[in-house]
Amino acid sequence: MSARAVILRIAALLLLVAFVTAPQLFAFAFAPLTANNAPAIYNQGSLLALTLSHLRIVVLATLASTILAVALGIFVTRPAGREFLPLSRSLVNIGQTFPPIAVLAIAVPLVGFGEKPTFIALFLYGLLPIFENTLAGLTEVSPRTLDAARGMGMNARQRLWQVELPLALPVILAGIRLSVIISLGTATIGSTVAAKGLGEVIIAGLQSNNVAFILQGGLVVALLAVLIHDGLGLAERAAARRLGRPLDEIA
Amino acid sequence: MIEIEHLSKRYGDTIVVDDVSFTVGEGEIAVVVGTSGAGKSTLLRMINRLVAPDAGRVLIDGQDTTTVPEDELRHRIGYVIQGYGLFPHRTVAENIGTVPRLLGWDRRRIAARVEELLDLFQLEPSEFAQKFPHQLSGGQQQRVGVARALAAKPALLLMDEPFGSLDPVIRGKAQDDLLTIQRRLGTTIVLVTHDMNEAFHLGDRIAVMDQARLLQYAKPADLLTHPAEAFVEQLVGTAERPFRLLSLVTVKDAMEPGSAEGEPIIVTATLRDALARLIWRGLPALPVADASGAPIGRISVDGILKHGRASLS
Ligand SMILES: Nc1ncnc2c1ncn2[C@@H]1O[C@H](COP(=O)(O)OP(=O)(O)OP(=O)(O)O)[C@@H](O)[C@H]1O
Ligand SMILES: [Mg+2]
Repeated sequence: MSARAVILRIAALLLLVAFVTAPQLFAFAFAPLTANNAPAIYNQGSLLALTLSHLRIVVLATLASTILAVALGIFVTRPAGREFLPLSRSLVNIGQTFPPIAVLAIAVPLVGFGEKPTFIALFLYGLLPIFENTLAGLTEVSPRTLDAARGMGMNARQRLWQVELPLALPVILAGIRLSVIISLGTATIGSTVAAKGLGEVIIAGLQSNNVAFILQGGLVVALLAVLIHDGLGLAERAAARRLGRPLDEIA
Repeated sequence: MIEIEHLSKRYGDTIVVDDVSFTVGEGEIAVVVGTSGAGKSTLLRMINRLVAPDAGRVLIDGQDTTTVPEDELRHRIGYVIQGYGLFPHRTVAENIGTVPRLLGWDRRRIAARVEELLDLFQLEPSEFAQKFPHQLSGGQQQRVGVARALAAKPALLLMDEPFGSLDPVIRGKAQDDLLTIQRRLGTTIVLVTHDMNEAFHLGDRIAVMDQARLLQYAKPADLLTHPAEAFVEQLVGTAERPFRLLSLVTVKDAMEPGSAEGEPIIVTATLRDALARLIWRGLPALPVADASGAPIGRISVDGILKHGRASLS
């Protein structure tokens, strides 16, 4: 990353922190977007609290997706699980093709309003990228490398932990990154079922016809997405460097 | 010592290894040669049980390999494959330390062993230990592959076309280095190749395979003088046989009493070298000296021809 890129990221981070902790400082910038003396800055709750609960649900859902998707990916690439590969692929794909809003509609009667239905939607939505990348990462490991591992007397578990997973790690991380970014955006619709999150700001803006609110909610989500995207990208590159691969091979 | 007894393997309807038996003595190099698809790799992989034989068994120092757990067996047998199969995510030092780590050696012992092997393979530890495989040349990767296979001091080393992807110059050097190291450590080696020159250069004995069968297992010179089948004769190269033979026999075997003019040749030189020297100098004979330089006889063009006629008839 060039020096300019680093400075830009730091600036984005500072802007984000400043905005969610002291949004009133930025009132001047949003005032022109309001009409009829409407408030320029979201005033129905703390932006910081909303951001944190937004992040919390995204992190929890992604964590759950990661655990299930990686475990599933490992299982269906073992000899014992190979026959379940097509089945698990289609199941995970269904999770993806189901619109999140429909998941919410189905989940609310079952688990009630609040964080739970949102968590379920994000969890299902996050599975596919991680699962597909886990599969890709594990199946890309060269047969020759695996043959050498077997020939040196590594058992199945040692091959998985010492060879297959470390080699697949950068690809799996890329899947997790994709999943987090999707979830950050998708989590905003959670506010329609009363989950605490940045969607509230946007919805409040829509209801009161206040463009400033809509923009604020969108801005915070976008900054979060950019920063998390880059942060996880760094982790991927560190993992790839452990593979001895040149940095530029991984996007 | 390793005894291979009636090993057979089939995949579906095709038999890939058909009732192969041979014995490799302690500290010997047995080279398995044959055309592509002859079953060489399959045979080799049955020795460390990467492939399960359909029939037959392998004894290592008298012990049936099936009586040892697979992984344990492989910890004791070095294995080098073409392309070396180095772990791309591990440094040279970590690659070499793989089996010792699996065996639970302590850190210091592993580090010492890695350093010892890097030295043995002429890879300066401070320069190479922390490099990743992709930062090495083909020849360096090859050396790391062999060093890794030797790390836990196995008494037996299996090598499947270990020099296959090296250019001819580096390949010759790598073969010489392997011989030196093997003589020093006394490791028993079974090596697969389809390069006949390599087989003659390295093999104490050569096993010729064709279409799943072992056609002949013999010392290199016997293979030349008494090929068991037309295929063996063809494989060892009819036209090149005399020259191959010359490079297997030392001056000692064709030496005559007497003396000659000129710079003496050492008694351990091959007949091939002696003949080359004679032709080059345009001389009928050269004096022969022992290791200390003292003259002990002579070698002549006639003598070499006579020796050749005797062994080929
Ligand atoms: N796992 C397998 N399943 C089915 N057929 C196999 C398998 N492994 C090897 N074969 C077949 O067995 C035959 C012998 O293979 P092998 O690899 O032992 O030959 P090779 O002598 O080592 O050849 P090369 O010199 O090309 O490496 C080939 O025809 C190959 O296609
Ligand atoms: Mg082969």
